[in-house]
Amino acid sequence: MIELMQVSKRFGDALAVDDVSLNIARGELCVLIGTSGCGKSTTLRMINRLIEHSAGEIHLEGQPVREFREEVLRRRIGYAIQSTGLFPHWTVARNIGLVPGLLKWPRARIRERVEELMALLGLEVAEFADKYPSQLSGGQAQRVGVARALAADPDILLMDEPFGALDPITRESLQDELIRLQARLNKTIVFVTHDMDEALRLADRLVVMNQGRIIQQGHPLELLRRPADGFVESLLGGEDRGLKEAALLPVSQRMVALDDAPPDEQQVAQHATLREALSIMLWRHTERLTVVDEAGRPVGQLYLAQLVGINGEASGRGHDRHHRAAG
Amino acid sequence: MREGAGSNSVLVSLMLVLLVSWLGLDAVSVAANRIVPGEGIGLGGVAGWPGILLSVAPMLGVLWLAWRPSPGRLRVALLLVMAMLAALPVWLVVAAALTVDPALPQSRLSIGPAVWLALFMLLLSRIELRGRIRVPRWQGALLDLLPLLSLGLCLLTALEPLALRQEYLAREPAFIAAIGEHLLLVSVAVLVSLSLGVGLAMAMRRWPSAQRFGFTLLNFLQTIPSLALFGLLLAPLAWLSNRFEWIDALGVSGIGWAPALLALVAYSLLPMVRNTYVALEEVDPGVIDAARGMGMSRAQIFRQVRLPLGLPVLLEGIRITTVQAIGLTAVAALIGAGGLGRFIFQGLGQAAMDLVLLGALPILIMALLADALLGALTERLRPGGLR
Repeated sequence: MIELMQVSKRFGDALAVDDVSLNIARGELCVLIGTSGCGKSTTLRMINRLIEHSAGEIHLEGQPVREFREEVLRRRIGYAIQSTGLFPHWTVARNIGLVPGLLKWPRARIRERVEELMALLGLEVAEFADKYPSQLSGGQAQRVGVARALAADPDILLMDEPFGALDPITRESLQDELIRLQARLNKTIVFVTHDMDEALRLADRLVVMNQGRIIQQGHPLELLRRPADGFVESLLGGEDRGLKEAALLPVSQRMVALDDAPPDEQQVAQHATLREALSIMLWRHTERLTVVDEAGRPVGQLYLAQLVGINGEASGRGHDRHHRAAG
Repeated sequence: MREGAGSNSVLVSLMLVLLVSWLGLDAVSVAANRIVPGEGIGLGGVAGWPGILLSVAPMLGVLWLAWRPSPGRLRVALLLVMAMLAALPVWLVVAAALTVDPALPQSRLSIGPAVWLALFMLLLSRIELRGRIRVPRWQGALLDLLPLLSLGLCLLTALEPLALRQEYLAREPAFIAAIGEHLLLVSVAVLVSLSLGVGLAMAMRRWPSAQRFGFTLLNFLQTIPSLALFGLLLAPLAWLSNRFEWIDALGVSGIGWAPALLALVAYSLLPMVRNTYVALEEVDPGVIDAARGMGMSRAQIFRQVRLPLGLPVLLEGIRITTVQAIGLTAVAALIGAGGLGRFIFQGLGQAAMDLVLLGALPILIMALLADALLGALTERLRPGGLR
C-alpha cells in the first residue's frame, strides 16, 4: 500500500531522514516512534508531499507519489495533526466537509457524509454541527479533526501526534475510539507519536526511529521481547517492559479451566489485560482470580504463577489481538 | 471593578470636574466686533443666581445618583446627562440674549471654556453610563437625538450672535467646498494606499528578503515630519511638471493636491502594509498546515483561510489609515491642497479662534465618524468563530 524505498531528506547540510525503507500493508496501523527530531514527522509528511523527499522513492499502491498532482494526492489521504488545524472561522460541519467540498461533491451528499461521520465519532449533530472550534473542548476538537480526515473516505490516514496535547483520560478514550474505528473501517494508518504507551496500544507495527534512521520495526510484542539495542530497550521502558507486555496480553490467554475449588470472589474480566489482573491481585492480596465473561459468568480462573508465566505457559505468545476489543 | 454598593467613582469624578469648571471658568465671551478681543463672562455674569441654581441642580443630582448607584438610579442619571447636553445650546441662546447688546450688530458671542469642558465631561459621562446599563437600541438613539435636535433648533432660530455661526455664514460655499476637497483627498489617499499596501505586503510575503528593507523604508517615511515631507516634495514635483508637459497638464506642481496626495499616501503606507502583512502572516501555522495537508491549493488557502481570518486586522489598518489621513489632510492646506485645514490656518493668521474652530470641529467629527463606522464594519465582517 505505502512503500518507502531508501528515502532520505536533507535540509541544507542536515540529514533529517536517512535511507529509510518501510513497507506498510493495507489495513495496517503503523506507528512511528522516537525522540523529538528523530525524523518521524518528516517521514510522515513526505508521504503526502508536504515535504518533498530528496532521495529514494515513495510509492502509493505501486505508483510514485511524485506522479500525482500534490493537491490530488493529498485529497486522497486523510491528515490529522496535534493542533487539529481546524479553521476557526468555519463551523464544525463545514470543517468536516472540507475535503468533500474540494472534491466538488454535491451539497446534499456532503451534508449526509458529515452527519454520518459526526455520529461515528460520537458528536451529536444537533449540538455540534453549528458550533465553532473555539467553542469545543480539546477532545471534541480532535474528534472533529479525525472526522475531517476521514471525510472523503480515504484509504490512507496520516496522523501526526493527534492526541499529544490532550489530558491522559481524554487521550485514552480517543485511543479506544481509534481502535474501534480501525476495526470497523480498516484504513491504512501511519501514526506518529512519542508516547510509548500509546504506540504499544495502537500499533500493528511499531517503527522505532533515531537520528533519521529506522532502528527496529515489528510487532510491539516482538520489540518488547527482543529489542535491537539499548536505545530501543530504554525507549520501551527498560525494567518496565514486563508491565508493558502484560498490558498487551489478554487474561484469556493465561487462564485455566475452572476446577472443583469454589470460585474466588475476586473477579477479572476475560478481556482485561494481564496487567490489570496483576494489579487486582496486588490490590486484593490474592494469588487467584475468577475470570468472568461479559455477562459475569465464571469461565475460568487465573493464578499468579500462570500470569507471570512460570508453568511454562508460553504457548499463547503470539500476535493475538483480542485484547483490543476490551478497550 | 467596584462592588454594587460602592459609588461610581468615574461618574463622581466627571461630575466634580464639571461642577468646578462650570462654576470657575468663563461661560462665554462677548466681543463688540471680530477684531477686538472678547470679554469673558462667568456663570454668574450671564444669568445671576437663578442661572447658577438652575444649571448646578442637575449636576448635583447626577453626583448624588452616582454616589449610591443602582441600575434604576443610573438610568435617571443618563436621562439627566442627556438633558444637560440638550440644554447646552439653549444655555448659549440665553447667554446670547442676556449678554449681547442688540444695538451692536457687529458684536459676537464666543463659546467659553466652561461650556466646552461641560460638553466634554457630559459626553464622557454618557459613554460611562451607556457602558454600565443596558438601554434598548431605539431608546438610546432617541436619547442621542435629543441634544442634536436641540442644537439644530437653536442654530436655526436664535443663535445669530454666535461667532462660529457668523464665521460659517461668511464662508458657506467655501466651507462646503472645503469639506468636499477634504473627503476627496482622504478617500483617494486611502484607496491608493490600500491597493499599494496590499500589493507591497504580498510582495514582502513572497520575497522575505525584501521585507526588512521595506519596513525600514516605511518606518523612515513615517518619522519625517509632515510639514517637512510637503517641503521635500515641492522641488522634485515642480521640476517634473516643468520638464514634462503631460505631468503639468495633469495639474501636478510643487504645491497643490499632488504633493499632498503623495505625502498622505506615504504616511498611510506603513499602517496599511503592516496590518495587511500581519493579517496575512499571523494565521495559526497549524491551520495552514492542515489546509495544505487536506489538499487545498495556494489560491484556495489564500481566499478561504488567510483572507477571511485576516480581514479584521486588514480593516483595522484601513481604520487607522483613514483617521490619520483625515487629520493629516488639515496640514496639507499649508501647501495649497485645500480642505478644512485652510480655515484653521486662516484663523490662526487672523487670531480668530472661531474660524479655527470652524475648520477643526468638522475634522474632529469626521475622524470620530470614520472611526465609529469602520469599527462597526469590522465587527460586522468578523467571521463567526472569531467574535
